Amino acid sequence: MSHDSHHAPVADKMELAPERSDLGLFRPDRTRGFCDWLTTVDHKKIGIMYGAFAMLFFLVGGVEALAIRTQLARPDNDFVTARMYNQLFTMHGTTMIFLGVMPLSAAFFNFLVPLQIGARDVAFPRLNAFSLWTFVAGAMVLNGSWLFEFAHLAGWFDNFAWHKALVYTDFVPANGWFSYAPLSGTFGQANAALQAPRFTGVGTDFWIIGIQILGIASLAASFNFICTIVNMRAKGMTMMRLPVFTWMALVTSVLIILAFPAITVALIELMFDRQFGANFFNPSAGGQPVLWQHLFWIFGHPEVYILVLPAMGIVSEILPTFSGKALFGYPIVVFSGAVIGFLGFAVWSHHMFTTGLGPIPTAAFALLTMAIAVPTGVKIFNWLGTIWGGRIRFTPPMVLALGFIWMFMCGGFSGVMHSAAPADSQQQDSYFVIAHFHYVLLGGVLLGLMAGLYFWFPKIFGRMPNATLAYVASGLVILGFNLAFGPMHYLGLAGQPRRTHTYHAGNGWEDWNFVATIGAFILGIGVFMAFANLVYTAFKGPKCSSDPWDGRTLEWSLPSPVPEYNFAQSPVVGARDAFTEHKHGTKRIAYEADGGEDGVHMPSQSWMPMLAASGFLFVGFGMPMMAMGIPHAGWIVVSGVAVLFAGIWLWALEGPGGYMLKTPAVSPTPAGAPAAAPSAH
Amino acid sequence: MSQDAAHHAPTSTGIDHKKLIMWLFLASDCMFFGTLISTHLLYRKLYPTGFTDAEGHQQFIQKLFNIELTSFSTFILLMSSFLMALAVSAMHKGQLKSFRRNVVGVIFFGLIFLGCQVYEFTHFYHQGLTIQNSVLGSTFYVLTGTHGTHVAIGILWLVLLYFYSFTGKLGGHVGALDVEVAGLYWHFVDIVWIIIFTAVYLVEYLGPSGIWGNGLPVLAK
Repeated sequence: MSHDSHHAPVADKMELAPERSDLGLFRPDRTRGFCDWLTTVDHKKIGIMYGAFAMLFFLVGGVEALAIRTQLARPDNDFVTARMYNQLFTMHGTTMIFLGVMPLSAAFFNFLVPLQIGARDVAFPRLNAFSLWTFVAGAMVLNGSWLFEFAHLAGWFDNFAWHKALVYTDFVPANGWFSYAPLSGTFGQANAALQAPRFTGVGTDFWIIGIQILGIASLAASFNFICTIVNMRAKGMTMMRLPVFTWMALVTSVLIILAFPAITVALIELMFDRQFGANFFNPSAGGQPVLWQHLFWIFGHPEVYILVLPAMGIVSEILPTFSGKALFGYPIVVFSGAVIGFLGFAVWSHHMFTTGLGPIPTAAFALLTMAIAVPTGVKIFNWLGTIWGGRIRFTPPMVLALGFIWMFMCGGFSGVMHSAAPADSQQQDSYFVIAHFHYVLLGGVLLGLMAGLYFWFPKIFGRMPNATLAYVASGLVILGFNLAFGPMHYLGLAGQPRRTHTYHAGNGWEDWNFVATIGAFILGIGVFMAFANLVYTAFKGPKCSSDPWDGRTLEWSLPSPVPEYNFAQSPVVGARDAFTEHKHGTKRIAYEADGGEDGVHMPSQSWMPMLAASGFLFVGFGMPMMAMGIPHAGWIVVSGVAVLFAGIWLWALEGPGGYMLKTPAVSPTPAGAPAAAPSAH
Repeated sequence: MSQDAAHHAPTSTGIDHKKLIMWLFLASDCMFFGTLISTHLLYRKLYPTGFTDAEGHQQFIQKLFNIELTSFSTFILLMSSFLMALAVSAMHKGQLKSFRRNVVGVIFFGLIFLGCQVYEFTHFYHQGLTIQNSVLGSTFYVLTGTHGTHVAIGILWLVLLYFYSFTGKLGGHVGALDVEVAGLYWHFVDIVWIIIFTAVYLVEYLGPSGIWGNGLPVLAK
């Protein structure tokens, strides 16, 4: 190995001598500032970037939602065109799910999982950076479609021959977030250029390749997290001592690696239909559009649990902390999470009750769907059991976590209503469905994630968010959210269809639509305030101690902000809720000096993950440009694949590298305070 | 070697990270191929008669297949797995020359398999089965083509490992592990082909008129 003896241990990476990798290139280890963030392999920095991008896209998706609500505020409104309305609701759903909630969950996974299991990093630090930059590439592809749309609306493309040849000019995805075939596909016979006529514009191609790239990012991240959780636990951190959040990260990652292949294949098939004239979903050649629905929902239903399980994990950390009690029924909560994940693969057809599956499958899927309410209910009762008799502190994260339980339960109740197939036939594609999944995804997931942000922000930045502002924002979010989505239950049962850009007066829908729009704006102000509070805190907030909440898990035993090596010495854990036991119980955390005199091993930084991921950017813009008929656009795709392969090749050749970092001398743990973490209490 | 030792610290399960992540990838790839194979079988069940060629004649899939050729290439791919196992074993024993000899064999056999697939695709195309003219064409070419892409990536990987072995950096525990992980991938791609060969080719010859019914009598071929 040529990278074995290159450095004496250093106290700061800036003291490293310039070092060439096996490849002969300089490693970007000695960087500060911008380049440091671009080349970092530190799970904490990657987590922070995931979080920052996720919050940015939450705001983008939020603006899209407010445009939708403004359009629907009164009947026969013309705030946006029907064409743009389709684009708005499609991009709102896609953005919130794939660019908002999933990366925000990934941000928590990245930041917390290694800290909670007592590790120094994830199993594959460079792969982790690759996941982040691939996600960014996918997000840029999806949202880059807006640039094409605006250029089209401004008339910049009018003089080009390829533009004149386009039949449909939707440059932004406009099929809804599940892009049902045959609308997203083709019809008729393919011509000599392997193109069959399509129902929609190239927005669909942006959607196909964008989701494909985001899927690769999620898969790579999930392989990494499973590996990390299973393989990198500190001594004594048995599986049944893992914090519940880490458990839910594990279950979510398993769901991702097993569910995403279905959408990957479905997207490949749809891409072949649109780009190469294949017939997977082409009804005129015998393709079955219902196959798309099956493939999509085999992915799409586990996806719902991919979204919600991390939030459940977060709440399972917050409630015990602020109730001053251990989580009630830990094994049952963990087991319920796993059962939810398992059953999640067996209920996809409840999205398809109205396609005419026949009585047997419909009954089976209805029963299995109802069965999922059992482990979910078990979790809720365990959370109630946790706060029961506890000394509750109503901090901002606790308020949001309690809001999560209540709002998520409302979404769960309407979910059980959907599981009854005959009722579902009435509710299908109405605003009732919108109400249901916003209660689950917003009242559930967003409140849970916001609770997590307010809970762990002091750990991430060492600064405490303003509590008053946080209470006001939480109140506005919960109030605005109920005003916006509560009335939609009624609107749906009164017959208002979803995905329709306007409605006529006289159906009795006017008042509640207006109320919903007011609620949406209150909600928007609340979320913006909550995020603004956090962004301000990250830079200027008042400093706080390393353990401001009297936390229960290992991350609270570390200084805030967490040093780059995480643990100066590796912890040896003797109990569940290790840090609480350490502070208040009998089983103290021991530390073993695994690095010895040399300090700890740090992985080298690298440009290669970002280089490889940048290939996806070319592929992502090249494929839709091919579909537009732009001459030689295929070469953009080819060069993108070449960049991807070159990046991976150089990545392999440069080797893992690494250097030894000296950590502060740790004296034997003094009574009452853990090593290297002077505690606040 | 101190950092190397630190980097390969004992894991909680005793399984190396690289091996574990490859198993996870293969689990995911199972779902990937499962979805593709399901798509093909669903459409075979729905449209048992095959496809219509350019002249408008109904064509039956058994007339298209050259089962002798495909059996041969299947056998070759299986034997490449055998050589791969020998290459991994050689690497564990530190026998670099033996590793190179066997891995060249794997690459050679893989290329024969790919060559057969290219021949098969060309042949089928000239018989009138295209990706555009039928659902069967779409599912067949995309399924077997995706598998071929997996084989091609495996060959590329092994070629890179082969040349890397001349730099002197492929060796010891890490080198053996890298080869073993490539071997896991290669064996998996072989096993998937056994399933595809059974589900796409062999079942068409079951029963008096093909498993899906409405096929040509197999003996009349």
